[in-house]
Amino acid sequence: MWTFIIRRLLQSIIVIFGVTAISFVALQIGGDPTYLYVSERATAEEIQQTRVALGFDRPLYEQYFTFIGNLLHGDFGTSLSYKRPALEAVLEALPATIELTLFAMIFAIVLAIPLGVFAALYRGSALDGSIMTMGMLGQSIPSFWLGIMMIMFFGLYLRWLPISGHVPFLVPLLQGHVVEAFSQLPMALYYLVMPGVAVGFYSLSRNARLVRSSMLEVLGQDFVRTARSKGIPEAAVIIHHALRNAWLPVVTMVGLEFGFLLGGVVVVEMIFSWPGIGRLVFNAINQRDIPVVQACVIMLSVIFISLNLLVDLIYVRIDPRVKL
Amino acid sequence: MTSLIRILATGCALLCGIAAAQAAPPPDTLVVGLSADASTFDPAQISSRDNANIAKHIFATLYTVNFEGEIKPYLADKTEVSADGLSYLIKIKPNLTCDNGEALTAEDVAYSFNRPADKSKKFTGNSAGFVFPTLGFKSAEVVDDLTVRINLSARTTLALGMMAQIYIHCKDAYEAMTLEQASTNPVGSGSYRLVSWQRGSQIVLEKVKDPGRFKRIVWRIIPEASTRTAELIAGNVDIITNVSPDQIGAIDASGTAAVEKVSGTRRMQVGYNLSPNAAGMPGAAEIQNPKVRFALQYAVDVPGICSQLLGTTCERATSLVNPPNGNPDLKAVPYDPAMAEKLLDEAGYPRGADGVRFHIRLQGPRGRYLNDANVVQAIGQYLTDVGVQTDVELLEWASVYSPLLRAKKMAPLFFLGQGGVTWNPLYDMSLFSTPDATTNYQSWTDPRWFDDWKLALAAPSVAEARPVINRMLKLFYEEGPWLQLYFQPDFYGVSKRVAWKPRRDEEIDLFDASLK
Repeated sequence: MWTFIIRRLLQSIIVIFGVTAISFVALQIGGDPTYLYVSERATAEEIQQTRVALGFDRPLYEQYFTFIGNLLHGDFGTSLSYKRPALEAVLEALPATIELTLFAMIFAIVLAIPLGVFAALYRGSALDGSIMTMGMLGQSIPSFWLGIMMIMFFGLYLRWLPISGHVPFLVPLLQGHVVEAFSQLPMALYYLVMPGVAVGFYSLSRNARLVRSSMLEVLGQDFVRTARSKGIPEAAVIIHHALRNAWLPVVTMVGLEFGFLLGGVVVVEMIFSWPGIGRLVFNAINQRDIPVVQACVIMLSVIFISLNLLVDLIYVRIDPRVKL
Repeated sequence: MTSLIRILATGCALLCGIAAAQAAPPPDTLVVGLSADASTFDPAQISSRDNANIAKHIFATLYTVNFEGEIKPYLADKTEVSADGLSYLIKIKPNLTCDNGEALTAEDVAYSFNRPADKSKKFTGNSAGFVFPTLGFKSAEVVDDLTVRINLSARTTLALGMMAQIYIHCKDAYEAMTLEQASTNPVGSGSYRLVSWQRGSQIVLEKVKDPGRFKRIVWRIIPEASTRTAELIAGNVDIITNVSPDQIGAIDASGTAAVEKVSGTRRMQVGYNLSPNAAGMPGAAEIQNPKVRFALQYAVDVPGICSQLLGTTCERATSLVNPPNGNPDLKAVPYDPAMAEKLLDEAGYPRGADGVRFHIRLQGPRGRYLNDANVVQAIGQYLTDVGVQTDVELLEWASVYSPLLRAKKMAPLFFLGQGGVTWNPLYDMSLFSTPDATTNYQSWTDPRWFDDWKLALAAPSVAEARPVINRMLKLFYEEGPWLQLYFQPDFYGVSKRVAWKPRRDEEIDLFDASLK
C-alpha cells in the first residue's frame, strides 16, 4: 500500500506542476496585466516602472520559473491587488468554502441515501416517480437559478432565512476558540442553509439516482435472497446486506464530488455573498492577480488529488475485493 | 418533562437569535451594500472607486468637493498661491488629531504627500498613478507646525481638486508600520475609524468625530445585483449601489425602498479610433473624414437608448465636459436619420446597390458599464439603418478589451465610458492633453485643439480660460473623435428609513445621511 501511496504522490507533483503551467500561460494570453495596476492617465514611463516593479517585463518562462522557485520555498508571491501574501488570502477564504462544500455534501448524502433506497424498494410506485422526477429536476436546474429562487421565496417572501452573508465556524475553531465556534454554530448553519442547498441539490439528485440503481442491482443478487431466506428482518437485509454493497459506487462519486464542488461554487458564492475561494478566484481572474489565482489553483489541486487518494484508500477498506 | 422544556428553551433561543439576524439595522447604524470589497486601506495604494468610497470616511483630506461640485476646505484653513502658481502655502486647522490620538500637524500633511510619491516604495495607488502626474507634484515641505508648502512643476487650475484626493495620515503611526500592516490597520484622520474588516463580507466603521450622523457604518459586500436588491427590500441594508435597470420597478414597488437616479459624470461615447493601428480595418479610412464623424451623430437615438435600455431619461451630451461646465451655445445633436443619410451622401459615401455605404466594426465591453452589451448592439443597428453596415463585437473587459484599449488597437468604433468631474472643465478635457496622451484612446491629433489646450492650461483661472474652452468644445462638437452619447445614469437603492442623496461623481458621501 505504501508503494501505491508514494507512487500517487509523485504523480500528484507532476499534475500540480502541469496545472500551474497551464493556468500561468492562460492568464498571460490576455496581454500585459500591468495596465490593470496603473492609472488610466499613467505615462509610458510610469507604466514601464510598474511593469518592472511587478516583474512583467521579464520573459514568460523566466517569470514562471521564478514563481516555481519561490513556490518550492513555500512562497506563493504577493497578491497584486491585496498587497499581502497570496497564500494568506487563499487560506483566509478557504474555510468558508469548505464549510459550504461540507454542508452541501452532508445534505446531499444524508438525503440521497434514504431517497435512493426508498425509490428502489418501491420501484415503479408514485414515490419512486416523485423521487426520480426530483432527481431529474435537480440535475437540470442551474444552481444560480435555484439560489435566486430560494432568496426570493425563503429570504424575501417568507423571511425565514437570511438572504446573504456568512457566520464563520471553522475559522474560530481552527484558531482554538472552541466555545466561540460552537456558540456560533447555530447561526453558521442558519446562514448555510440556502447556499448549501443550492450547491448540494445537484449532488443530491445525482446520488439519489445512483443509490437507487445500485440498490436495484444489489437487491436482485443471490446473497440478498439468501439473507431473506434465512429469516433476517427486512430492515437488516436492506441496511446490513444490500446498502453496504450498494454504496460502493456512491463513495467513489462522493469523493470526486467534494473536489468538484470546491472548485464549482463560484456562482453560488457570488449570489449569496459567501466570502469563499470561489469569489476570491473570480475576482483574482478579473484583476489578473496571478499569484492569487495560482495559489487557488494549487490549493484546489492538492485538495482534489488528496481526496482522490483518500477515496482509493477507503475503497480498499470497504471492498475487500479491491487490491492496490 | 425537564428535557422537553430544555429542548423548547433551546429552540426559542435559536429562533430569537435568528429573528435578530433578520432584523433591520439599529437606529445608530447605517448599512450600505456594495458590489466589491476594498482591497487595501493603505492610503497610498487605494485605487478603486468602491475602495475610495470607504476610505474617504476614514481619512480626511485638505479639501473636499461638495455635493454641488465646489471645492471647499476640509482640514485646510487658509490657502495662499504664489504668483507663478507653482507653490501652495496651506495652513491647516489647529488641534487636529488622527484616530489613534496622535496630533496631526503640518509634518503629517507633508508626509501624506511625500510618502505616496516615494518611488522606492513602488506604490501603484491613485495618488502616485494619477493625482501626482496630473498635479505636477514636486514636493511637500513643512513651514511650521500648522503650515505646509506644496510645490508643483507647472501652474494648474486643477490643483485644489487634485489635492482633495490625497488622504491625510499621521507620520509616526505609518513609519512604525510595515506595508502589510498599513494595508489592514489604517490610522485615519477622518471622522470614522475602522473597527473590523471581514474580507469579502463586511467592513465596520465607528464614528470618532464630526462630520457624520450615524455612530456606525457597515459596508456589506454583496456582489450580485439581485441579492443587493433583495437585501434592500427586506430592510437589511439601507443603501445599495449599481442597481440594475430591470430591478428599479421591483424596488420602487416594494414600499420599503426607492431608487434614486442621478446623471453621473461618466462620459459614455463611441470613440472613433483614428490611430494608424486601425488602418486597414473596415471603416477606418471613412471615419478619418470629420464630415462622416459628424453625420453619424444624427444616426443614433440617444434618448431612445436611455429610455428603452437604461430605464431613465437622459440628455445627450454635447461635448466631453460635464454640465454645467460645457459650452452653453452647443445644442445636443437630435436623432435624425434622414439628416445622417444626407450628410453621408454629401461626404461622398452614397448607398451602394446593396444599400450599404461602407462597412465598419464596433467593439464594446460586456458587463463593464450599465447595460453595455445591449447599448452597443442598439448603436450598431442604428448605424446599419443609415447604410453603415456595422459588425458588433462584444469583448470581456479585463483580459481583452482593456489591454486593446491601452494599446490603442481598438476597432474603428469602440464603446467607452470615461470618468469626469463637476468641479473643473479642464479636468474633463485633459483626456486630450497631448496627441499621444494615454487617455487619448482615439489618437485625435487636430492641432487646433492642442494649441488651444496650452492656452487654456496657462490661464490663471477657469473663468479667464472660458473663451478658449468654448472654442475647443465647439471644435470637439463638430469634428471631435467621439460619437456623443450620454452621461451614465447611476441608480442607488435607498431605504425609506434613511434620508440620503447620491452624488453625480460616483462618490458615496454618508456624512449627511440621517434617519428620516
